[in-house]
Amino acid sequence: MLKAISTATRLSMPTLSRSLPAFSTSSSRFASQDPTTRKEAPKIDTETVIALPAEAKEKQVYESQICVPTKVDLSPISGVPEEHVRCRRVRIYQPPKNAMQSGTNNIHHWEMEFDTRQRWENPLMGWTSTGDPLSNMKLQFTNPDEAIEHCEKNGWVWYLDCPKTEKEFKTKSYGLNFSWNRRTRVSTK
Amino acid sequence: MLRQPLTRALALSSSSRIAPLGVRRYAEALAQPEKVEVFIDDKPVYVPPGTTVLQAAAMVGVEIPRFCYHERLAVAGNCRMCLVEVEKSPKPVAACAMPVMKGMRVKTTSDLTKKAREGVMEFLLVNHPLDCPICDQGGECDLQDQSMAFGSDKSRFTDIHFSGKRAVEDKDVGPLIKTIMTRCIHCTRCIRFASEVAGVDDFGTTGRGTDMQVGTYVEKMFLSELSGNIIDLCPVGALTSKPYSFAARPWETRRIDSVDVLDPLGSNIVVATRTNEVLRILPRTNEEINEEWLSDKSRFACDGLKRQRLVTPMVADSRGNLTPVEWEDAIVAAAHAIRDCPPNKLVAIAGELADAESLVALKDLVNRLGGENVCTEQYFPMGGSGTDLRSSYLLNTKIANVEDADFVLLIGTNVRFEAPLLNARIRKAFIHKETDVAYIGPKVDLTYEYTHVGDSASIVKELATGSSNHEVLKRLQSAKRPVVILGADQLKTSEGSALLAFTQELALRLQDKLEDKEWKVLNVLQRTASQVAALDVGYKPGVGAILQDGPKVVYLLGADAGVVTRESLPKDCVVIYQGHHGDVGASIADVVLPGAAYTEKRGTYVNAEGRAQQTLPAVTPPGKAREDWKILRALSEVLGARLPYDTLDEVRHRMAEISPSLVAYGDVQNNNYFAQARVLAQSLQKPVSGKLDVQLKQLEDFFMTDAISRASPTMAKCVQAVLKQKQSPY
Repeated sequence: MLKAISTATRLSMPTLSRSLPAFSTSSSRFASQDPTTRKEAPKIDTETVIALPAEAKEKQVYESQICVPTKVDLSPISGVPEEHVRCRRVRIYQPPKNAMQSGTNNIHHWEMEFDTRQRWENPLMGWTSTGDPLSNMKLQFTNPDEAIEHCEKNGWVWYLDCPKTEKEFKTKSYGLNFSWNRRTRVSTK
Repeated sequence: MLRQPLTRALALSSSSRIAPLGVRRYAEALAQPEKVEVFIDDKPVYVPPGTTVLQAAAMVGVEIPRFCYHERLAVAGNCRMCLVEVEKSPKPVAACAMPVMKGMRVKTTSDLTKKAREGVMEFLLVNHPLDCPICDQGGECDLQDQSMAFGSDKSRFTDIHFSGKRAVEDKDVGPLIKTIMTRCIHCTRCIRFASEVAGVDDFGTTGRGTDMQVGTYVEKMFLSELSGNIIDLCPVGALTSKPYSFAARPWETRRIDSVDVLDPLGSNIVVATRTNEVLRILPRTNEEINEEWLSDKSRFACDGLKRQRLVTPMVADSRGNLTPVEWEDAIVAAAHAIRDCPPNKLVAIAGELADAESLVALKDLVNRLGGENVCTEQYFPMGGSGTDLRSSYLLNTKIANVEDADFVLLIGTNVRFEAPLLNARIRKAFIHKETDVAYIGPKVDLTYEYTHVGDSASIVKELATGSSNHEVLKRLQSAKRPVVILGADQLKTSEGSALLAFTQELALRLQDKLEDKEWKVLNVLQRTASQVAALDVGYKPGVGAILQDGPKVVYLLGADAGVVTRESLPKDCVVIYQGHHGDVGASIADVVLPGAAYTEKRGTYVNAEGRAQQTLPAVTPPGKAREDWKILRALSEVLGARLPYDTLDEVRHRMAEISPSLVAYGDVQNNNYFAQARVLAQSLQKPVSGKLDVQLKQLEDFFMTDAISRASPTMAKCVQAVLKQKQSPY
């Protein structure tokens, strides 16, 4: 079932838009594939041809079942208070590289985080307190689709935030420091 | 590091260089050089010739450790941390400087490579102090991390009496950067940043071997508007942030990605907070806007967020003193004043830090009451197409594309201080793409050489009509990708509309002849973060005419630029101020409604190129302060003109109704209707005679320009330090 949903999701979503409006556009993403767009006859799988009758029948039974890609909503049964489902807003993003360091080890994934709510300094220890149970819930995903699916399952309003971080490739050259006719020339270090 | 005189001689005088340059660009695009196959740890990768070993390794996800190498700076090759073994090479090679060769087999995990790294690390640590526990870089130090990952597991350092460690005197380079030069590992990143990106060639090395020192030679402040970036670049704790020193450890802080609003570019930032307090602001990479740099004002003015704040609603008592009251009383007082006022006598003025949500809410409120007087502080001529066509008030070329320009004409704008990161882009083009720059306006230091065409407005007219015989006109006409940037400050004067008309004419003439039909020439550089959103929403630019009519109620939405004064208003006029700082606006107010600053609310800001971005709340507003659109919503309820939105989503639906671009976060649309704007502006092309002047001329003018930076002690220190440096003979 879930597999069917994710397939449908992948098919119906053209390319990941860089920025979706602040409000979620969830429902429109579950459109089924249009058969008229097919250009050629379906290719017959070799495995189907050489399968034993029992296997073929089993496969046929399996394929005749209809998987309806409906939206799975776990929020009524997850036990999360309604105010933390309806009023929260999830930001799905790639963690930015720390400007202070050159390493890029922990930023190659996608994260979701909830909107920041009030925090204060606890007078007892001076630590930071919050009344928000979701304030530390940062989940990691390998791609934004998974994050989106997770949010939709839990009924959270999500949005994607992805600034352009990949650069145009430019070869670096040590020789440019000494180029005689370019402004990149340096005379001292 | 002085540029060579030869390049200076070539700078603009020879027009023969123009054609080859243009040809080179298109030749580059056409001829795809054959890729070279190299093997990184036996993984094959095809890279363009000239790629360095380090870049090739990065393509297959192998990150070679480095200290001196930085993607946005020139290759220095002096830290030797990137040594790797290359098959058939007798010695390990420095990956950051070594171009790949066909069939090269690089081994990044071999014994030789490991040994080389351990050796380099050992040498670095011999003279590095063991003060990590008191070092501000601790926790985000490249040296710490790399010595853990690539260093040796044992020490041969036997000088337990610590007699032999190198010690270097600390330098004083101003109130922003703290130097502990003993920690310096001589990567020279700061030197290269200063000379290449900041364009202030003050840093260098003196001495050699163990006596080598990085510094300014004579004690001197680092006079740059981008100086804070060398703190980020420093891989060790030699350069750290002075205002943030000993404030927090990186693992204690919570980082919230947000957007800067102190200049019109909307640089992406990370706000580091702890216990409801903004501790520091760091840049966040966005190739389309700020790359990975940040201007000093955006980075260091954050301590202004804690001072001069309006924390409680206030109403003026019988003697005219503002006294703290409850929200209810303040809202009722404001509502009384507005209700008693005829709609045409109600004036709403939006300031430079207002977010689009509150701009929309304020305009909706005034319109619901029957008024039309909503305006911004910054003026923009309304003749011709006025603000109807977006292309007339935006940076149409886009910030990132300025890099590809081959000729830039700046008209009456000191880009260096009005939009420091745009200036860094122009400088990048100047150095790496041989772009030339011409400038009309008073002489200023833009950090690169430019042709000074003069400071009279009539030059623009002559260029537009083609009657000029200045060489700049020829350069503009022959340029493949020219860019014309007009400063919005020039539009304030009575000649502003003519100047805009001539600039449009000039830009359109150039644009029509271009081969590249997508390239946009016309740019207007706004001065403030809120102006573009306000014009998009339909605010009238400028307050002059509206204030002449004698308003009865003036509603200031963070209007702190000082264009509204008590003297210019009638005696019985009620001033309502809504904003976050007790600045110019609050000082003349009768009712004060405390709002939230940009780190405290989810607000939409549209930058100078028309890109909507949102800030995220990092901390909660202090005291009784509230989010701005909510204040306006509450006020509308009391006024009986209820605004039809209760949640932020509903406000944004309303914004999307007005203009979908206001909620298309991160995206920017191409602007059109240049020709129509040009036709409409044709009647405005009247003779101009004035002189162009810019507001921010010197570095000391740059630091304190808005309510937040005026409240910041760090920015005040910067102004003082720059003035002091001016007294110095160096």
